[in-house]
Amino acid sequence: MASLLWFQGGACSGNTMSFLNAEEPSACDLVTDFGIDILWHPSLGMELGEQAQKIFWDCAKGERPLDIFVFEGTVIMGPENTGRFQMFADRPMKDWVIDLCNQASIVVAIGDCACWGGIPATAPNPTDSVGLQYLKKAKGGFLGDGWTSKAGLPVINIPGCPAHPDWVTQILVAVASGRTGDIALDELQRPQTFFKSFTQTGCTRVQFFEYKQSTMEFGQGTRTGCLFYEFGCRGPVTRSPCNRILWNRQSSKTRAGMPCTGCTEPEFPFFDLAPGTVFKTQKISGSVPKEVPVGTDHVTYMAHAAAARIAAPEWSKEDMFVV
Amino acid sequence: MAVKTKDLRISPLGRVEGDLDLNVVVEDGVVVDAQAEASMFRGFEIILKGKDPQAGLIVTPRICGICGGSHLYKAAYALDTAWQTELPPNATLIRNIAQACETLQSIPRWFYALFAIDLVNKNYAKAKEYDEAVRRFAPFVGTSYEPGVTWSGKPVEVYAMFGGQWPHSSFMIPGGVMCGPTLSEITRSIAILDWWADAWLEKQWLGCSIDRWLENKTWQDVLDWANENESQYNSDCGFFIRYAQEIGLDKLGQGAGAFLATGTFFDPELYARPTIDGRNDALITRSGVYDGSGYHDFDHMRVSEDHTHSFFKGSGSLHPWDGVTDPIDPADGHKQGKYSWAKSPRYNVNGKGYIPLEAGPLARQVVAGRPGAADHQDHDPLFLDAIQTVGPSVLVRVMGRMHEAAKYMKLVKGWLNDVNLHEKFYIKPAELADGRGFGSTEAARGSLSDWIVLKDGKIENYQVVTPTAWNIGPMDGKDVHGPMEQAFIGATIEDMSDPVEMGHVARSFDSCLVCTVHAYDRKTGKEMAQFRIGDIC
Repeated sequence: MASLLWFQGGACSGNTMSFLNAEEPSACDLVTDFGIDILWHPSLGMELGEQAQKIFWDCAKGERPLDIFVFEGTVIMGPENTGRFQMFADRPMKDWVIDLCNQASIVVAIGDCACWGGIPATAPNPTDSVGLQYLKKAKGGFLGDGWTSKAGLPVINIPGCPAHPDWVTQILVAVASGRTGDIALDELQRPQTFFKSFTQTGCTRVQFFEYKQSTMEFGQGTRTGCLFYEFGCRGPVTRSPCNRILWNRQSSKTRAGMPCTGCTEPEFPFFDLAPGTVFKTQKISGSVPKEVPVGTDHVTYMAHAAAARIAAPEWSKEDMFVV
Repeated sequence: MAVKTKDLRISPLGRVEGDLDLNVVVEDGVVVDAQAEASMFRGFEIILKGKDPQAGLIVTPRICGICGGSHLYKAAYALDTAWQTELPPNATLIRNIAQACETLQSIPRWFYALFAIDLVNKNYAKAKEYDEAVRRFAPFVGTSYEPGVTWSGKPVEVYAMFGGQWPHSSFMIPGGVMCGPTLSEITRSIAILDWWADAWLEKQWLGCSIDRWLENKTWQDVLDWANENESQYNSDCGFFIRYAQEIGLDKLGQGAGAFLATGTFFDPELYARPTIDGRNDALITRSGVYDGSGYHDFDHMRVSEDHTHSFFKGSGSLHPWDGVTDPIDPADGHKQGKYSWAKSPRYNVNGKGYIPLEAGPLARQVVAGRPGAADHQDHDPLFLDAIQTVGPSVLVRVMGRMHEAAKYMKLVKGWLNDVNLHEKFYIKPAELADGRGFGSTEAARGSLSDWIVLKDGKIENYQVVTPTAWNIGPMDGKDVHGPMEQAFIGATIEDMSDPVEMGHVARSFDSCLVCTVHAYDRKTGKEMAQFRIGDIC
């Protein structure tokens, strides 16, 4: 048995909705087969009786063991650090969050908002939103750099807007089945097992990337090519398993023709959505991508690209995903 | 979920859900005042100012992860009208399919995970079929709950086929859709929907075929249907109709009695050039206003948002193109008589002025009963008959929503057949630097609209009006309550220690937020009861 409490800060419920798409295990399986004892969740079937309220306070005071505290949404600090833009149980939500984080064995941030501030923290960040242990790329966030939970771990970040249900359920199962020790985190406190690979890893367009063949328009145009060159796809510079663990068991954005927006990275939404940056590759002198794949540089990239274009076979210039 | 709350009034945890607090004042057994307080602010309209014209395609779905696909759908049409795009028929079809699949997902997820758990509340323990309700609907373990919730992910697998993922894709863009589906995306979609329609909709929910259900044209037909044979009687729907009547859900939750639908789904030929003026005629699921006695055409220029009692600077009422989002500290707002982060949308009905309207599935189905539908438009007399014969109620509202599962299923299958894989899915538009747009749809919970103003290639103003704002918004400048608030005022409570009636009323509004009802005694000012209403958008 592992007790779990799930709160929502400045949230859209998207991570909860994504979580409900889970199979193997489903949300129900987590409860019935893996002994996750969901003490309370804002929208899932838990009665709000005296008993539940007691659990709340008991957890906050440390009188009842809280194994996992899940937080979805930003921590809202505004206005002027009062937190009153989000009141919860007659207190600013941020006051609950600090109490519960300090009592939980493990704290899991689900989704970009809880990890880094996400969309609500986009300039001008009208609510002064922060993530639990980051604000965008800067360490610290709400709890501060160096904060650890009772189990001695920093916040486990499961980013994504939303997070894929499997990234959440598999981590919960790992905790419930005594494999917490196997959860290795990267430098952004994301489980490496999911976030070492790139979004591009497993993308069906990767052969077009190899030969530098671009998709030229949306819709029918996405039957060929890679979305990196014209449409701002961040697949080569984003860490996620979106093309290893498919979405809704079927597809991924890049497979379906939508450029990756980098939503597992702290800077999402990139460039603060400034005019000219949405679904458009940012380029130097009109042709060279400003950002090149991780681990390379512009000179190397251009040499590789020139060679790749020469090597490009005829099929790489034709439609591949045809009727 | 209703709970006995004798001890809760002294609890410092008086408001355990932060999202929506409904404060109800009771005097001598009658509700005399009600205020709905949305208690969280995120400032999306502020974030969008000055941003890329297409920023709304990324930002607005994140307003609500439950209706994110609906946010995308109307955000795309707001840009289509502003940029004067041309949409290939396939793009309209794919958008329709995706929007409908989001709603198909929402119907069982809402019913089992959020609504039906209330049916096993111990308040109903004396009901004859209570044990059966528990067997079916108990959270996580109920025999209907588990498949109903788990399989609700199936329709959005179809969404992912075209959009890459659900929730939070941004694959609808001005001029069309990003995807160029192949044969197997269409065939797999058909197979997934067929499986789900068979396993959940027909076997578990209806106990009959979709076509048999859709033969019901009057409320009496529905009641007769529930007793027609063993299969229908024992289905979740048959059981729910019976049980709802036993516990009184057919008698409560009348609401304001005036309805708004902005409509959704477009005929691919009739909306090839999306314009605001051409919108009503191109709709398949129609728009309109029913004011309790007659119908009116929907005109977005008649919408106004009042913020007199909302936590924004000043007071007044503005058309969303001119809308302002200037937040203040709620602590200061309370001193000025403000009490919610929601604004109060109102609609100008000829002869009645700006009035509150109820949005949602029942509103849609009432508007569907309006005579004079064109060939491509839905005409369905069932729920107009229901509100004229038995009146709105919790039962009627829930059935309005569930009815759409059968209707949307048929629509989606038709659209999937109409997609021509050899034609275009996108026509690149000119990105106009200036313009104004309006886009709207019907999210599962009701009318959802964007108003956008573009200037010098940037967003000058962006305003979103949600179904939740329509339904749970606070009082306006004339101190007229919103529809949900109105539904409470005047309600009689039989047992002050167990005011189950309030739970019924609140539950009948399918609001976008987790909602907590607080009941206060006027004489003592003390909180005497608290309910959780398990609705989320």
